[in-house]
Amino acid sequence: MTTFKRGMAATVMALALSGTALTAAPAFAAGKLTVSSPQDPGSWDPVDTFLVQWAAVATNIFDGLTYRGPDLKLVPGLAESWEELDEGKRIRFKLRQNVKFHNGEPFDAAAVKFTFERLLGDEGAKGPQRSNYTAIESVEIIDDFTIDMKLQAPDPVLLTKLAGYGAMIVPPKYIQEKGEDNFNTNPVGTGAFKFVSYTPKVDIKLEANPDYWAGAPKLSELEYRFISEPATAVAELQAGRVDLVIPPTIPIGMLPVIEGDANLEVVSVPGPTVDALRFNTRDGITADPRVRKALTMAVDRATIVQSLLAGQATEIASFQGELSFGYDPELKPLPFDPEGAKKLLEEAGVEPGAAVQIDVRGNDTTMNEVAQIVASYLQAVGITATIKPYETNVLLNDIIPQGKTGAMFQQKWGGWTFDYDNTAYAMYHSGERWNPYDKDETLDKLLESQRPLTDRAEREKILREIAVYAADRALEMPLYNTKAIFGISKRVKGFEPAPDNRMKFTGVTFE
Amino acid sequence: MATFLIKRLLQAIFVVIAITLLVSFAIRLTGDPAVTMFQGGGSMTEDDLARIRQALGVDKPFLEQYLTFLKGLVTLDLGRSFTGNAPVTGLIAQALPATLLLAFVSIAVSIVLSIPLGIKAATARGKWADQLIRILSLVGLSFPNFWLATMLVLLFSITLGLLPPSGMGGFSSYIMPAVTMGVILTATNVRLVRTSMLETLQSQYIMVARAKGLSESKVLYKHALRNCAIPLITYFGIQFGGLLGGIVVIERVFNWPGLGTLAFDAVGARDFPVLQGVITVLSLMIVGINLLVDIAYGLIDPRIRTE
Repeated sequence: MTTFKRGMAATVMALALSGTALTAAPAFAAGKLTVSSPQDPGSWDPVDTFLVQWAAVATNIFDGLTYRGPDLKLVPGLAESWEELDEGKRIRFKLRQNVKFHNGEPFDAAAVKFTFERLLGDEGAKGPQRSNYTAIESVEIIDDFTIDMKLQAPDPVLLTKLAGYGAMIVPPKYIQEKGEDNFNTNPVGTGAFKFVSYTPKVDIKLEANPDYWAGAPKLSELEYRFISEPATAVAELQAGRVDLVIPPTIPIGMLPVIEGDANLEVVSVPGPTVDALRFNTRDGITADPRVRKALTMAVDRATIVQSLLAGQATEIASFQGELSFGYDPELKPLPFDPEGAKKLLEEAGVEPGAAVQIDVRGNDTTMNEVAQIVASYLQAVGITATIKPYETNVLLNDIIPQGKTGAMFQQKWGGWTFDYDNTAYAMYHSGERWNPYDKDETLDKLLESQRPLTDRAEREKILREIAVYAADRALEMPLYNTKAIFGISKRVKGFEPAPDNRMKFTGVTFE
Repeated sequence: MATFLIKRLLQAIFVVIAITLLVSFAIRLTGDPAVTMFQGGGSMTEDDLARIRQALGVDKPFLEQYLTFLKGLVTLDLGRSFTGNAPVTGLIAQALPATLLLAFVSIAVSIVLSIPLGIKAATARGKWADQLIRILSLVGLSFPNFWLATMLVLLFSITLGLLPPSGMGGFSSYIMPAVTMGVILTATNVRLVRTSMLETLQSQYIMVARAKGLSESKVLYKHALRNCAIPLITYFGIQFGGLLGGIVVIERVFNWPGLGTLAFDAVGARDFPVLQGVITVLSLMIVGINLLVDIAYGLIDPRIRTE
């Protein structure tokens, strides 16, 4: 019995100690915003990650040469202006003056040169970001506040890419003196908020940068808590300990909970993510384009969007959303026409009762429901569909690239650059990882021809041609473009949701 | 005692090698961390993937990677996380206390509840108190823990606003996770205490103790409980090991920054070093607990000490 007692005493002591050491501060201190984000990227270094949850935080710490806000318009950032020279192979940037990093280090041409040499050098080679910026050959300093970016080939999306991720400008002295490891967990930038502290898997805390070049933020503190479980994030929101839940957290099924709470509201905005069921165009009945069209026509996609997705998505005609560069409002989805579908199937010689398998991500609850509805629509035209859920990584790493999918498989895609090239090239070009089945020379040529073009109108025309061509061959059953869903406390004012989840909280206040 | 300890140490080394070998091998079959890192990053070339694999060290043959891990283990260097490059030892050092504290509190809740309730059920065998305790324990056993957790959050955090719904903070943040774990443990433990007690109470020395005129509480807590403690301690020990595994769900629901959260995220990101590290620590702990249970036998039963 004495051992029990001693054990208990120790436990009580430990509890008491932890209680005094870690008393939680309430979230509703004046001017503080607490945000729930579903993932901790582990490092705050811009070269290390592709995670949108990194960018959601880092857009408040760092700035790029260009800036793209919630309206998706490209505006000057740390560069005040730029001009394209040598037919797009050289870009000259005039840099903003009197800007300082949070540690007091001045921002100048040397910092820009350092940033890109680091990204394209050994440090960048360890991370995934570099591959987005390989068009850059070198950065030359013209004077303290002018640089020339020399390109190996013109890159029409480069100016957009400079507004985020790997192109965030970092402080050279700080990194050289304190080392790379320190920078991962103690980031310093020129942004609206300064880094205060970071606890892995728990939170990152920031405070206002009163000297921010674009005007000091109205909030004094900003905290991001990492909460991956949707029910937990929403419970925190309801309890008032979190003021904003950013996507991708809240599933459509949970919207009524937030809508039913008088203190909260749902805000949503079209996002970059599109869902499609792609076809195995090489083998089986889906090798025939008539069958692919028939399967698409058999499914009432508009009803799926309206009823199952509660309008938190829009129907698509090609593998991109309305915000994407290359989107064509004239291109309409195939109509819902079960009779026409039956005719096409008959024409193609498909017997009633033919089977297809639909591979989906097992943890994607929405898609699992959608797939079931798709299966019942297919049943109505005499096709028996079975749904096979895979663990996401297995589907992405093995099943799709190795060409081991069923006749149809889920592909979820969306690039933060909102450029159709990003999707189309990866999905349709021969030999690409995400294209295990299809080889089409015409499509390859179209895809390659638009890549070096800096003439936006010309490139947009080709991208639209690609979309029409892919729709004509029915390479996928386009489903929908989902909205980015935010749960927010009504006490937060001035919040503008960003389609790419990168919100700079300078204009936000908390009552 | 020395041979016993050496035997146990060799056993521990064997367990850790067997488990980490299996886990490291199996996780590598399920995906490429380089591809996972590029998710949503647009088109990637084979060159990009090769560059990342080299930086992460996953381009080398499996056995070489595994030997590097073992070598590092000797110097407590478990490598660096694939997501964010933080030293794994540091991540575990941060997460371990959170998990241990929660596990201890849960076990404590369960012991404090199950021993008196189990004894009550045994002494009142067949009467209404016994029936009630047994029915409650059955109900407790049938609750899925994540459901119970969600209901507690709904009641105490959202409706009543008394407790924080998630996170690790002050005393109040421990209540719901510990009660959730504790209730489910108690449900099993009550039945165990009851059965064990019933057996002991039929022994002759209990009759003797009663015949001597000892008070009922002395009979129960001094004579009977001590004698039926051996199976209980064995079971609590095993339970603690199981608890460390089962805590993953609770940590996720309550967003508790422990080993479960660390392992869960590591599996998702194919973060091999973190997963290997967590599994190593967990298996070492389970071996260690078994050792403690053996030592505890000796403390409770002098006959085992002399053997």
